[in-house]
Amino acid sequence: MAGNKGMFTKLWAYISFTLVIGVIILLFVYVFVNGADAITIEFITQAPRGAILGMEGGIWPAIAGSFCFTTLAVILGGIPAIASALYIVFYCRSAKLERLFHTVIRCISGIPSIVLGLFAYSFLVRELQWGRCILSSGVALGIMILPFIEVRAEKTFRELPKAVVLSSYALGCSRRYTVMRIVLPACRGELISGLILGGCYAMGATAPLIFTGGVAYAGVPKSLMSPAMALPLHLYLLLAQGATSFNMAYGTAFVMMAIILISNILVTIYASRSQAKWNA
Amino acid sequence: MERINDTAQNEKGAHGVMNIEALSVKYGKKTALDGVSFTIRPRGITAVIGPSGCGKTTLLHCMNGMLRENKDATISGHIYLGGKDTALIPMEELRRRVGLVFQTPSPFPFSIYKNMTYGLKYYGTAAKADMDRAVEEKLRIVGLYDEVKDELGKNALKLSGGQQQRLCIARALTVEPEILLLDEPCSALDVKATALIEDMLLRMKRDYTIVTVTHNIAQAKRIADDVAVMFDGRLIEYSPAQELFSAPKQQLTREFLAGIYG
Repeated sequence: MAGNKGMFTKLWAYISFTLVIGVIILLFVYVFVNGADAITIEFITQAPRGAILGMEGGIWPAIAGSFCFTTLAVILGGIPAIASALYIVFYCRSAKLERLFHTVIRCISGIPSIVLGLFAYSFLVRELQWGRCILSSGVALGIMILPFIEVRAEKTFRELPKAVVLSSYALGCSRRYTVMRIVLPACRGELISGLILGGCYAMGATAPLIFTGGVAYAGVPKSLMSPAMALPLHLYLLLAQGATSFNMAYGTAFVMMAIILISNILVTIYASRSQAKWNA
Repeated sequence: MERINDTAQNEKGAHGVMNIEALSVKYGKKTALDGVSFTIRPRGITAVIGPSGCGKTTLLHCMNGMLRENKDATISGHIYLGGKDTALIPMEELRRRVGLVFQTPSPFPFSIYKNMTYGLKYYGTAAKADMDRAVEEKLRIVGLYDEVKDELGKNALKLSGGQQQRLCIARALTVEPEILLLDEPCSALDVKATALIEDMLLRMKRDYTIVTVTHNIAQAKRIADDVAVMFDGRLIEYSPAQELFSAPKQQLTREFLAGIYG
């Protein structure tokens, strides 16, 4: 019977694997096939036009806007995330504080993104009167991806061979010197990949920017205090307009997924290369 | 096992002398070291032996303050370095004066040369000529210089395990310690690499005080001047190596040497 049981597990694993891979491939192929028609030079480089906005023209301001939102989110979320991961792993002497911090991080990652949007809207946009702008959305997106980056950074720091870090302490070198000379250079690949993956996560999010900085139409953003278009929001609006803009919606999805997919692939290559350097 | 009183401490305030007094360590509620006291002879090799989990590594990590990195550990008792309580010596200075090499070779992930200059740069050596001299001198001590002199720019992780461990010892020497602590330095190495390290330690004891933790009784016999036998967090016997191996005083030591405890 043991043999049968093994067969069953194997079969189950194969089927699950095929199913998962199949769904992903289907999704990508479906979006890419449907969106491919919409993709032209004009679509990438021009602003949306048309009687119903977005029926014609392109999505360039949305690409540029998404890039701004994402970059700002990565800066605002990534710096505190990596800094606090450093603190927890290399400086914190209290197990209690560490537990508290982890609870807080889990809580933040549990906040629904629309609630972050609501917070940024009521506090930043209205209370502080920043208005609907890239900065307001950037803060909301930054908070959203902070736990994502922190967890990865902390894992990377903990995976560093302990003896290497302790060897530096054993020479009498300070934590700061150790962190700057060994920890950060050794973890650079993983940290950058965490930041970029966090960026991809932020790029796909719509809820935090609906009320805080994303708009249906704007030019290429000129400052942090101006509102901007964003790819996922544009996609949402095109779909909401109904059948007239389906083609454009698929095109937008195509561009967004292509950006995220390419970033993911590049980051994976980069991280494995810098990992290989460490293990050379 | 002689107890050191205050006046004797001052006499023993010499370079490379370490006195340990009533040292106890607890991890949470679990006792790891229980009232350990002994004096380490300068310019000799002291081997700490005992079964796994008897507190050897904990003892070693106390000696240069490394145990203070452990959040769970509570330490009591005193360790004197050159007559001065190590609790009063700034951590940086203590660790510079008492070097520690870990069980697994742990080179930094950069070139051999940069591994060797890492500590020098931290302590402010800037001139290239000074660094070159120190790198050559310390690599020669560990017998690695001739093997790597043409490829100092090579990534240290590409060296063999034995070479890596000798590099780590050389690296620990760059900051001019008085005492060198070695935590089972040969446990990850083959017989040949082990022999190289043993020869090196025998040469080095002219200039350094060496304390080595080892699992390997034969190794302690080959290189040690003094041997401390630990059992269950206590120091049960501490005598010159010859005496200890030929006529152990304690029943537990005899049993351990006979191989009853692993």
